[in-house]
Amino acid sequence: MTQEGKQMGHESLPLGRFDLTPERDDLVRRMSGAPVRLDMRAHPIFAFVGALGGLPLPIKDLSEGLGLAFDKGPVLAGCRIDITRPLEVARSYAVAARVEGIERKPSRRFGWADHLHLAIALSDSAPFTDIRLHIIFPATEAP
Amino acid sequence: MTEFPDTPFGPVSGEDMATWCDLLSDDNQIHLSRAAAEAAGFGPNRVNPGPANLAFLLSAAMAADPEAGVTRIDARFEGNVVEGDHVIARNEGKALALYRDGDDRPVVTASIQFGAIE
Repeated sequence: MTQEGKQMGHESLPLGRFDLTPERDDLVRRMSGAPVRLDMRAHPIFAFVGALGGLPLPIKDLSEGLGLAFDKGPVLAGCRIDITRPLEVARSYAVAARVEGIERKPSRRFGWADHLHLAIALSDSAPFTDIRLHIIFPATEAP
Repeated sequence: MTEFPDTPFGPVSGEDMATWCDLLSDDNQIHLSRAAAEAAGFGPNRVNPGPANLAFLLSAAMAADPEAGVTRIDARFEGNVVEGDHVIARNEGKALALYRDGDDRPVVTASIQFGAIE
């Protein structure tokens, strides 16, 4: 694990893919109480759903591969999403992800915690969305 | 920011949490198992995935203006929603916030920019 205050270098993952079907959009709209779809535009939360759901491996496997304690119950701290073009249903998007950094810091809740920063972009022939995720994992010891 | 009245959602269901996890390829057991949620210190109920909470805020804004295009979302996840909870999406001017019904601290706050996109 990296030292406190020092981040890992950026590591790109193999490309993944996310199929944004009308059925998936209908499902998300029902669960989140959104209005029905008026055209091809999907619910904007798919910038997040497609990013995680389209990774080339589940977030659990990615996290554990990075040495992070996924089974301890990680929590989502924040995200920033930029939408260049609205995601549309009945399209398939390439999912490009990279690890922007992992940092171990003191935590009031866990004692120590690892902060994972991921950047994930969805594109077709052009960029659609870009998300930066910050996820906190409990850690058991100081760096 | 799109104006909208306080918008209630819920009760949040464990079954929907499992569907969200399937969409997200997220095996975090705090969303799927009450025992895992309790062992991790979240209490006896399953924990709603963070993106599902953010989706409530976006849906409230979409209901007020279905044609609005979202260009940027900056969200902080500051608390948890668990199965059975009712939540309220509120427009607080500069940001949207999601509250568990009866709580005065938001579980999610989000600054959302709307604008013309291609």
